[in-house]
Amino acid sequence: MSGEERKVVVVPCSGIGKTYGTVSREAAYEVVEDARPGSTGLVALSLLVLGDEDARAAVRAHPAVTIDGCKLACAAKMVQESGGHVTQGIAVLDVYRRNRELKPQGIAELNEGGQRLAHAVAAEITAVVDDILAEQEGSTHA
Amino acid sequence: MPELPGRKVGIVACSGEELAEGTVTRLAALKVLEQLRPRETVTICLPLFLAGGEGDRAFARFYPTIALDGCEKRCAARATEQFSGKPAASVVVNDLVGEAGLARPEGARRLDESGRQAVVVTADRVAGLVDELLGGQWNRRSGSFAEGAPATTTDPPPQAGCACGSAIPVQTVDVNGQAVPLAALPLIFEQFHGAGKAPGAEVTKELLETVKIYNDVAAGTDAELTAALAREYAAFCRQKGA
Repeated sequence: MSGEERKVVVVPCSGIGKTYGTVSREAAYEVVEDARPGSTGLVALSLLVLGDEDARAAVRAHPAVTIDGCKLACAAKMVQESGGHVTQGIAVLDVYRRNRELKPQGIAELNEGGQRLAHAVAAEITAVVDDILAEQEGSTHA
Repeated sequence: MPELPGRKVGIVACSGEELAEGTVTRLAALKVLEQLRPRETVTICLPLFLAGGEGDRAFARFYPTIALDGCEKRCAARATEQFSGKPAASVVVNDLVGEAGLARPEGARRLDESGRQAVVVTADRVAGLVDELLGGQWNRRSGSFAEGAPATTTDPPPQAGCACGSAIPVQTVDVNGQAVPLAALPLIFEQFHGAGKAPGAEVTKELLETVKIYNDVAAGTDAELTAALAREYAAFCRQKGA
């Protein structure tokens, strides 16, 4: 993520060994590419791990929504360690618990349940992004 | 009896979400893990080196590890070396794409044809490296191979998968008044006990050498660590015998 035009950063976990990691990644893409392309941007977790200055600056300068695929919550922890503020942390497992019919399977490629779960996660994030933007808008005009 | 995981190769992909090449690393790693070398490989999420525990950080000291990066920033290679251990090999997708004469991959979310070909090329390269690494004797402490030394163990690897949540176990021992976390110590004790090795000076010496494979032991502390291992192993054996 580069410019100041972005207002919210989305940081998905890099979970590679479990299907929830893929759901996290897919949900992030849906938000930044489809739902709110003009007001959100991705920050790669690997860059935060390495301490990349641009990535750290992005999470420090913007409210962050993290998406984690497991209880270890790497995305949320890395944003905090990078000096950022997690405005909202989304746990894929929690969304799944509220949508038990959307059972995800597959890692390289999600099944239909996984894709729908990713869509549900993306919808929650989009609502959070809208709240953040509305709040920013409100404070700008106050 | 638990066995030390000595016959697998670790794969750490950058998974960079921003770039198509990051997606290539992720899918290539999964192709190796699930299809090409499922019995010989294991992976871990890169952020666990920071967000996880001591057992996670021991990953690249246990497994000769291939770092798989999408771009020249080499986040996976550099972070693995910084936080876990020196990777045995490093692969950068951009380099392979150039060598193979492929167009630059596009589509982080959905790879284009070039990206899909890059996955195949990258996975093949990684699988070849896995074979090379398993054919040599990896020195975990130096991050290099013992020249000409053959592989020595043949334990059958269990199902391939993610190392998240199944970190290398760590036991903290008191060494001369200092709490020292030692990766793999519970497994080492189990292995020694299972082999019928009773506490004693020779076994403690052997324990020390094994512990040193998986842990960076401060220079000049062998005597103190030896005493601690002797004490802890005796306690372990007493507990097992109880």
